[in-house]
Amino acid sequence: MLPVIVVHGGAGHIPRERSEKSMSGVCYAARAGYSLLQGGASSMDAVVEAVIQMENDPHFNAGRGSVLNVKGDVEMDALVMDGKTLASGAVSAVRNIANPVQLARLVMDKTSHACLTAEGASKFARAVGIPEVSQESLITEYARMRWTKNLAPDANPVESQMGKMGTVGAVAVDREGNIACATSTGGMLNKMEGRVGDTPCIGSGGYADNQTGAVSTTGHGEAIMKVTLARLILFHMEQGQTVEAASDVGLAYMKSRVGGLGGVVTVDPQGGWGARFNSLQMAWAAAQDDRLHYGLYAGERFSESLQTP
Amino acid sequence: MSAVIVVHGGAWAIPDELAQASVDGVKSAACQGFSVLKGGGSALDAVEAAVRMMEDNTVFNAGHGATLNNNGDVELDAIIMDGKTLACGAVSSVKNIANPVSLARAVMDKTSHVMLTGSGANQFAESMGVETVPTDALVTEYERKEWEKAHDTVGAVALDCTGNVACATSTGGIRNKKIGRVGDSPVIGSGGYADNFSGAVSCTGHGESILKVTLARLIVSHIEQGKSVSDASQLSLQYMGERVHGAGGSIVVSPSGQWAATFTTERMAWAAAQQDELWYGLEPSQRNKDCIFTVVFKVKIHSNMTPEGQTT
Repeated sequence: MLPVIVVHGGAGHIPRERSEKSMSGVCYAARAGYSLLQGGASSMDAVVEAVIQMENDPHFNAGRGSVLNVKGDVEMDALVMDGKTLASGAVSAVRNIANPVQLARLVMDKTSHACLTAEGASKFARAVGIPEVSQESLITEYARMRWTKNLAPDANPVESQMGKMGTVGAVAVDREGNIACATSTGGMLNKMEGRVGDTPCIGSGGYADNQTGAVSTTGHGEAIMKVTLARLILFHMEQGQTVEAASDVGLAYMKSRVGGLGGVVTVDPQGGWGARFNSLQMAWAAAQDDRLHYGLYAGERFSESLQTP
Repeated sequence: MSAVIVVHGGAWAIPDELAQASVDGVKSAACQGFSVLKGGGSALDAVEAAVRMMEDNTVFNAGHGATLNNNGDVELDAIIMDGKTLACGAVSSVKNIANPVSLARAVMDKTSHVMLTGSGANQFAESMGVETVPTDALVTEYERKEWEKAHDTVGAVALDCTGNVACATSTGGIRNKKIGRVGDSPVIGSGGYADNFSGAVSCTGHGESILKVTLARLIVSHIEQGKSVSDASQLSLQYMGERVHGAGGSIVVSPSGQWAATFTTERMAWAAAQQDELWYGLEPSQRNKDCIFTVVFKVKIHSNMTPEGQTT
């Protein structure tokens, strides 16, 4: 059953013309993470690699392809967490770097802190030699088009945002049984400057614990925060619920208590995994036992051998 | 069920020269918050009032009296949460604001977001007409001299007469931190959490450890499993000590009016007001009691900060 990796590319409503690219993107990321795991790499290396691939892919709302804030700028959030030590690293509202998840990992590995924000995150990036990139290199035509459209006074950014472009994330268990999660996003379309969502908040955007499992979340950020969705799902697993049941209960609670929709990818220490969502779609892919599983709509689960190129 | 408020002024090795002022400060803040509750005010209003008072008190590391980062600036974090709706407001790394808890409240009440950071948070403050305060006005002489490692934070939890709970936490963070370091205080589930179904929590101590175990949410989960507020707090702090070797403290109130103030650090200044009784402590196992009327009267005579709304 080990190793295993599950990735998501955002929960919501992905328009048809983009869904194919989302699917190929999550499959590519899952393959990339899995090949590292098969080679004996750690779950942290695997989830970071998977998320880096999706940050580099302009079809996701992370790194290149991030949504724009109300001023037309890119501000990104990311989180990584190590289930063995419970160490974590996060960045919020960081600008002008290509891979926020990589910076989040450096916060964890190179500082005694858990989260750096805004100008402080940028200063740290420079200090550790992460190249600064132009904002233009991160902005896609699609992101700019969505931003312009949502400047209209009657636009509802939450509704129109939901999954048209998605937060990305991954969870994994490696051969040693160590568990990790990673999540990365450009945040909410047309958000206020400095708005921080669930993604870099430990327990909301993600959580990993070798004793219980790991979760990476996507969906309406403010709703996810109010119920600390990742931690909530793991509490249910600690109480004995399966990966799928715990995920469904957590998502259902979020919908009934605070009216938010979303999705999660979840793993347990034995290699059990789930990709669950109560939005219309979530692009996801999982790799385990030399097989790739993936889907987009509720109930879908396609499967193919990982030997297939 | 009767209204109750519990406040803390930070869990750490509070030095003797600050001990009396810390205890006086939490007692005043608890009385301040309790007067709001007695007047029929909401738990949200009560925790905000109590934390504001401690932010204005230079003995605490929040607002006035906050610590400096390694650039010599003051960066502040705060959170406030409503147990009825789970609505929440938070600010991180906001500069030169006298009352970050009120700015967090404005994020909750006036925006569709939960958290704002950095210059975005400052711009929001400006748009709300919140004044900025020069760094010199926020930083005390004590702080300029003392750069050794220490950390504290202030917080409050309350239950009002309609059964709603709320929490608030505010901090200047750890001394000599990196610019833009965000600790546990503004992170929902770590620095604080409030849910009418189980209770409200505010945490203090080593921020990175509190984050690793999402301490506030962990305490709430134990209450959900049927533990008392005291057992839930002790179990969670013990777990934090064993799993990630971090010490800290928490204050908790349940929807039925049970409360606890618990810590694994050397000291924590705390006070609780319920049914005209004021409980307070500093050392482990210390639990003193005063009559609130007496405290309020003494505070009015001896303190420059007259609690608002008090009558004698």
